[in-house]
Formats: sequence, C-alpha cells, structure tokens
Amino acid sequence: MSNYIPTIGIEVHVELKTNTKIFSNAINGYGMGANTLTNVIDLGYPGTLPTINKEVIRQAIKAATVLNCEIRKDMHFDRKNYFYPDNPKNYQITQFNTPIGHDGYVLIEVDGVEKKIEIEEMHIEEDTCKSAHRGNVTLLDFNRAGVPLIEIVTKPCISSSEEAKLYIEKLREILLYAGISDCKMEEGSMRCDANVSIRPKESAPYGTKVEIKNIGSISNVGLSIQKEIMRQEKIYNNNETITPQTRRFDSKLNDTVLMRVKETGNDYRYFPEPDIPFIHLTDEDIREATKDIPMLPDERRKIYINKGITRVNSDKIINHREMSDFLNSFIESDLDFVVASNLLLGDIASYLNKTNKMLKDTLLSKEKFVVLVEKVKDNKLTSKNVKDIIEDIMEKDLTIDDIIEEKGITNITDNSIIESIVDKIIEDNMESVEDYKNGHDRSIKYLMGQIMKETKGQAEPRITMQLLKEKLDSLK
Amino acid sequence: MRYLDKDIKEIHELLVSKKICPLDLVNEALELIEKNKDLNCFITVDKENAIEMANRLGEMEVDKDNLLFGIPIAIKDNIVTKGLRTTCASRMLDNFIPIYDACVVEKIKELNMIIIGKTNMDEFAMGSTSRTSYYKAPLNPWNKKMISGGSSGGSAVAVGARLVPLALGSDTGGSIRQPASYCGIVGMKPTYGRVSRFGLVAFASSLDQIGPMTKNVYENALLLNAIVGRDERDLTSSDKEKEDFTRLIGEDISGMRVAIPTYFISDIVEKEIKDKFNELKETLKKKNVIIDLVDIKYLENAVTLYQIIAMGEASSNLARFDGIRYGYSTPNPTDIDQLYLKTRREGFGNEVKRRIMVGSYLLSGENAQLYYNKALKIRDDMKKELMKVFEKYDLIIGPTTTTTAYSLDSDLDNPLKSYMDDVLVIPVNMAGLPAISIPIGFSNSKMPIGMHIIGKPFSEATIYKFASFIEKELNLDLNPERGDKDE
Repeated sequence: MSNYIPTIGIEVHVELKTNTKIFSNAINGYGMGANTLTNVIDLGYPGTLPTINKEVIRQAIKAATVLNCEIRKDMHFDRKNYFYPDNPKNYQITQFNTPIGHDGYVLIEVDGVEKKIEIEEMHIEEDTCKSAHRGNVTLLDFNRAGVPLIEIVTKPCISSSEEAKLYIEKLREILLYAGISDCKMEEGSMRCDANVSIRPKESAPYGTKVEIKNIGSISNVGLSIQKEIMRQEKIYNNNETITPQTRRFDSKLNDTVLMRVKETGNDYRYFPEPDIPFIHLTDEDIREATKDIPMLPDERRKIYINKGITRVNSDKIINHREMSDFLNSFIESDLDFVVASNLLLGDIASYLNKTNKMLKDTLLSKEKFVVLVEKVKDNKLTSKNVKDIIEDIMEKDLTIDDIIEEKGITNITDNSIIESIVDKIIEDNMESVEDYKNGHDRSIKYLMGQIMKETKGQAEPRITMQLLKEKLDSLK
Repeated sequence: MRYLDKDIKEIHELLVSKKICPLDLVNEALELIEKNKDLNCFITVDKENAIEMANRLGEMEVDKDNLLFGIPIAIKDNIVTKGLRTTCASRMLDNFIPIYDACVVEKIKELNMIIIGKTNMDEFAMGSTSRTSYYKAPLNPWNKKMISGGSSGGSAVAVGARLVPLALGSDTGGSIRQPASYCGIVGMKPTYGRVSRFGLVAFASSLDQIGPMTKNVYENALLLNAIVGRDERDLTSSDKEKEDFTRLIGEDISGMRVAIPTYFISDIVEKEIKDKFNELKETLKKKNVIIDLVDIKYLENAVTLYQIIAMGEASSNLARFDGIRYGYSTPNPTDIDQLYLKTRREGFGNEVKRRIMVGSYLLSGENAQLYYNKALKIRDDMKKELMKVFEKYDLIIGPTTTTTAYSLDSDLDNPLKSYMDDVLVIPVNMAGLPAISIPIGFSNSKMPIGMHIIGKPFSEATIYKFASFIEKELNLDLNPERGDKDE
C-alpha cells in the first residue's frame, strides 16, 4: 500500500451530437475525406463571422442538467488567444468567464459506497482541427474545426485511478443516455485529460500537478493515472522534486511520457467575443431543452434491482440502451422483470448478435414479449423451447401460441404422465440408480437425459427433476 | 461629355432613355482612373469584369425602379470580393483572392451595380492618413501634396475626384467621415448593426461598420438603402425593418433641436474650421433650428478608450494571418515559430505591428481587467451620456475634424498626432451611433471643411434630412477640377 495520497482532477472534452458545427453551417461529421466538411468560417477566412448553432446551446443545457449543474442564464463567449496550427483563427471561441454550467456532480459507487465527484464547471467551446504529422510536414484536416464541444471540469476530488475510471464510465453512460454525444473515445468524440498530484498525508499541501493529456480509452484512464502516481511516488521517495509538466500515456511502454514542461503563466489574453452578442437563457429555453431527457441509468438501475434483477444483469441491460428502453416500457405493469431480463440477455440478445439486428428491426412486439414471459414463468415453455422458437418469435408475424402450435411444441407438464416415464427409466437403468445411491450425484444427470430422450425433450424439466429426485431418494 | 459628374438620377434617366449604356459609364470611369493614376486611389482596377458586366447589363432592360442600375462603384479593399484581389493594403494579403463575396458586395451585385475596383486605404484600416498602405498613400484631389485622410482614403479620393459616383468605406474610428471631410464628399457611418459586417476584414469587431461615400446626401441615402438589412451571418447585425433613407430629404428642419458639445468647438479645433462652423450655425438659427451648447462627459476620454478596445480586438482579429492558409507566407521557414514570426514580421507594416503589440499587451494577464474590461464599462457610461443628450435633442453637431487635410510629408512616426485626428469622430463609434460628414466650405488654402451630424441609433433618415437641408442651403461646387475640364 502506498504512503501517499493522490489528488486527481479530470477534464473531459465531449463532442456534441449536432447536425452542423457550432459557429458555421458545415456538417458535423466523422470519418469523411479530409477537409470535405469545412467552409470559410471553419477555415478562419478573413471577413468571416461566427453564427450560433442553437442546437449546441440546447445540448449544453441538457448536459448541464444531467450533470446536476447550476445553469448560468446570462452568459457569453470569450476568445482564448494562442498561436497553434490547428487553431485556424489563432483564437478559440470558448467560455471563460461565464461557463454555462457550474457546481454539479456525478455519483459513482466505489466498493459499494456512493461518492460524489464534484463538477467545478462545464462550458461550451469549438474544437480545433486535426493535425497529422508526416515526416517533417504537418497536415491539417479542418473537418473537426468548429465541431461543438463541452468541456467538463471536476474539482480535484478524485483520490484514486479506480475512482477516475469509474467517473469516466459513469459520465459516458449519462451523456450517452441523454443523447448528448456518442462518447467514442477511440474516435476522439470523448477526450480525457487528468491532473495528478500526490502528497504524503491529508494535512500536507497539494503536490505539484502533472497533466496527462489525451488519454485515448477508458481503461487507459485508470492505467495512466496509476502509472503516473507510481512515477511521482518514486520521485518523492528519491527526495527529488516534480516539475509541472504535460505528459501523455504511451500504451506500448505502458507508462506516461513527457510531452513538454509547462511554461509558467500561460497567457491566453481572454476577452469577451465581440462577434457574438451576450446570451440570456430564459426558463422556457431551459424547459424546452430538457423536456426530452430520458430516464437516466442510475434510476433505471435502482428500479431493476428493486424488481429483483441482479446488479450485474442490470448493468448489462443498461449497457444495451434499446433493451433497457424496451424493458422500461413495462415498468408500470406486473411483468416478471427477472424472467424478462433473463430472456432479453439470453436468447434475445444472442439472436440480435447473430443477426446483427436491433430490437426495432424484429417483429418482437410488447404483446408477444408479455406472453413469452408469462409462458416461461408458468413453465409452459422450457428454455429449450425458447431456443427452438426464438427465430420465429423475432421474424414471424404470429402470436406466441400460433408459433407453439406451428412448431408442435407440447410440453408434458402432467405430473402423472411424467411420473410414469420416470418409473420406466428407473426400471431400465438400475445400474445408475445404484451409482446414485452410492453417492455418484452425476448419474442423476444421465437419468434426466434418458427421460428427455424418451420424451423428445418435452418433459418440463423442473417438474421432472423434482419427481426424479423424490423417486430416487425414496429408493435409498 | 462627362456623365459621372452628373447626379445619379440624371444618369439613370439617360440609361432609361437609352441615350447612354452602362458601358459608357464604365469606359469613362476607367479612362478617368487611368488619367488620374497619380492620385493612387485604387489598388486594383477590375477592368475586364467591369466591362463584361457593363456589356451584360447593356443587353438587359434598365430597371426603372432601380436608380443604381449600371452605376459604377468602388469598394474599399478590406471588403472581400469573390475572385477579385482583396489586399487590405497589406503585403500580407497582396496575393489574396477571396472565394466569397461580402454581404454588401452580394447586395451591390444583386442591384446590378458595376464594381470598378478596390480602393486604397490604411493597412488593415489602421491609420487616419492612408499612408500606412503597402501601396503608398493616395493623394488629396484638392491638393496633391496633402493627405486624403483615412483609413478609407482611396474611396474618398475616388469619389472626390469624380472618378466614380459611389464608393463603400468602413469606419472603425472615423475612417469614413474623416477622409470624407478632407476630400469634400459625403460619408456616412451607419448605426452599428445596420450593415452586415460579413466579409469586412475585421479590425475592431465591436466598432467596425461599412458605410456609403458619395458626392451628395441624396445619393448617400440611396446607397445606404442598398446595403442595409439583417444578415443571418452577422449576429451583430440588427433586424430593423428596411426603410427608405431618402424619405425625409427635403422636409423642413425648422423647430429641430440640435446640441453642440462644448468639446467639439473647444481649442482643439482650428480657428478657420470653427469660424466656418459658426457661420453655418447662424444660418441654421435663422431657419429656426434650436441650437444649444451642451457639456457631455467622457468625450475627451474617447480616444483612450478607443485605443484600448480597438487595439485589443485588433490584436486578436489579426492573429489569423499566420502564413498557413492564405496570404503571405515566408519562404522556407525552419519551424512553425519561424513561420509565424517571419510571416508576420515581413507581412505586416509598422503601424499594424505597433497596434498588435499594444493590443496584446493590453489584454495580457491582469491588464485585461485593468484596461480592456474597464474600457468597456466606461464605454457604456459614455453611451449613456450621449443617449441622455438625445432625450432632449434630435441631433448632435460639430466639425468633423480639428484641422483640414495636412501635408503628406508630415511625421508618420508620431502616432499620437494621427490618433488626435479622430478625436471628434471616435465617440460615435464607441456608442454605435450613426453619423455623417458633409462639406460646408473651404479653408483659405482651398481645402474642404466638413461638418459632423450625429443621430441616435437608427435615426439615419433624420440625419439625411438635416444634412440635405444644409447641402442645399450652401450649394457648394465640390468638383476639385472644375474649370480645367470641358463641360
């Protein structure tokens, strides 16, 4: 165990899902040919002016709301002035003095205990262009220039790499559900920087801050912070000092590497953007922007667990947004959520995977699903039955009963019939019965198999097993 | 026969009656420009396209309701024109050919006016003499040893010398009104937001405004009619409904209330100018115009505020000229820093560099709070003071400039002197007000003297009414070459 206390703050940039860019009407898209989604505004052409994409403001209000932030109704944009080839105007339009959201939080669960990750502020800004270095030239792709971003900045309240990872996972889950971003770290639509410092004990002042830039995946968030903490500990242990610097995570080296030593007093010469009038958000603007926020993952999880679904399965369903929405449409009914979730995560999920379909592409209606769940719950359909008919359920415009009839599924659920078959199998397999008596539990499976063979799998397994066990035990 | 010296109404009638065709106008303008090359008021003359356009218009029916049909116009070279070189009078953009039209250029083309060329100016509109131009200063048509004023000097000279009937300028701190005054023409800076800035290469975004520069008041209003209107591409453009700015011209001005700020007729103004202005004041009084002297706070601070705000914004607006995407780029830089440093060192002239440096300093670290943000606050106070005056008065008047045009040889390296050229015009930009300069006479050395008429926001029509009355009353002959030419 380490002797040091880490202090971590995280800045996340998220690209907003909008049709067009923030300050121009060029398409906001990914994966297109370089410099095909760009216009004179994105290029910072002389004489051009920014316009405001109203959808960006709406999405930012939504983001601030789902991150539990206070919303600043009187806000404006500022210019952040710095020279860099990926910054077409050599100033970035951002929010410095009046971030749209502030004082929010995200709840995470660390070893079963809830923790609030506090959000200092959340602001709107434009993305820069993408540069690619080829030998001694640098190529610029302006498709990304002007893509709307929100930057979410936590307080330095994260105290482990595990917490950092949980925070990013949670943030991603929330933003995805709210439809704010597609949050693909590998495509850069969600980017993460972490500020890491360590100190010997709680009462000591904060240590020197090191920034890890552009962490490219969720797992690397935890990994890079962990490695950085170890690196800093080593430096402290050697009685050396840490210099303020920017590092990046190299996944091949599995460690952070130096990018640049921080220059003191970076001077961005912020001032209010004169080309964009100050904005006043009304209550109506906020109502309008937040009216279609769906139920968020935490609430869903609570409901699922209340209805008896395990934590693991709840998470799995929440990971599958469409499934979760489908299941949510039954919240008011008395549907058995445990059976329903097992069906969804089992045969239905594997059908969707195999066929590469979404639920909406299938013929599984709400009504059909309710009948299916009921029949499974009442042992009218065995898991083998479900496997046999799942394709028909998903692809045929027939009721469950019609499908059962068509497939000729007749399950033997009559106790007296099953009993007689059990008796016959026991009689024919006395050796196995002996084995069972001698403690070879495995032989019961063999006997079950024989019964299923005899009944062509139509004997209801739970009833059959119960009767078989009773019979065997009475023979002991 | 000269046509371009005639009123636009007359030219229009000649076009309608087919006595002349647009090509006659274009040919005359091109000839005059060639003949007066020494005035150096054009950076680029677009001969080919102008002739082609004139030919095209010649085949069309003249639109009887469009007085501007087929009229040649000159455009200040900081307003972008698709396919036509736009330099901002800077080496930085010496080779810059825009790929889009400014909003005002679109409007001009829609009205079938003919763009003759791009006019000379101070580099990036930074100056008040047009001497900071990379292409050397234009000359004053009234005396070629004198400055034209600036920054819209080329437009003022082109109209003043009657090479074209109309021109567009831009005014950040007097850049339309001051050269208009020096060259004996009419120049209007409209209310901030009246005219879209889309396509105007930004100097100081919160102050810049495009406006018309013309021979007379009526034509000025006519050209303003053509270029105003909400533009979705400029969020600072106003959504005021279109109006006819000529509509009040000719109406009686008796009973109008007019304020003269004491500062505007204080000792900073040359006696000759004050005398001429006072003469006019008496005339107005006789016409029952109510004239009071008023003290307006903060006017004397305007230049200081202007310097902070304009240079702060300019330092940021001009950051985009980095040699990467367009314009001048230093050959063979060794690395990115060299590309920035050398491109900007070689591409910008001294005055531009001076303002970028001062502006960067003013926004740097604590200075932003100390200077820029404070200047914005005082600017608001100044606007309030001016608006208070408009509670009692229809207009504010005074001389446009403290002196008449001075020698081209005067010291260029005394920036404070040239900043003082604009003390009377700058408060208008700070408050976003509309204001016009019109000629009211000449100095002893036969240099034009201008008068400044300031209105409350969006009161351009009232300004034109008042200006037109004075114009008619004075009936000045404003052609600098009258007598030398055949009529």
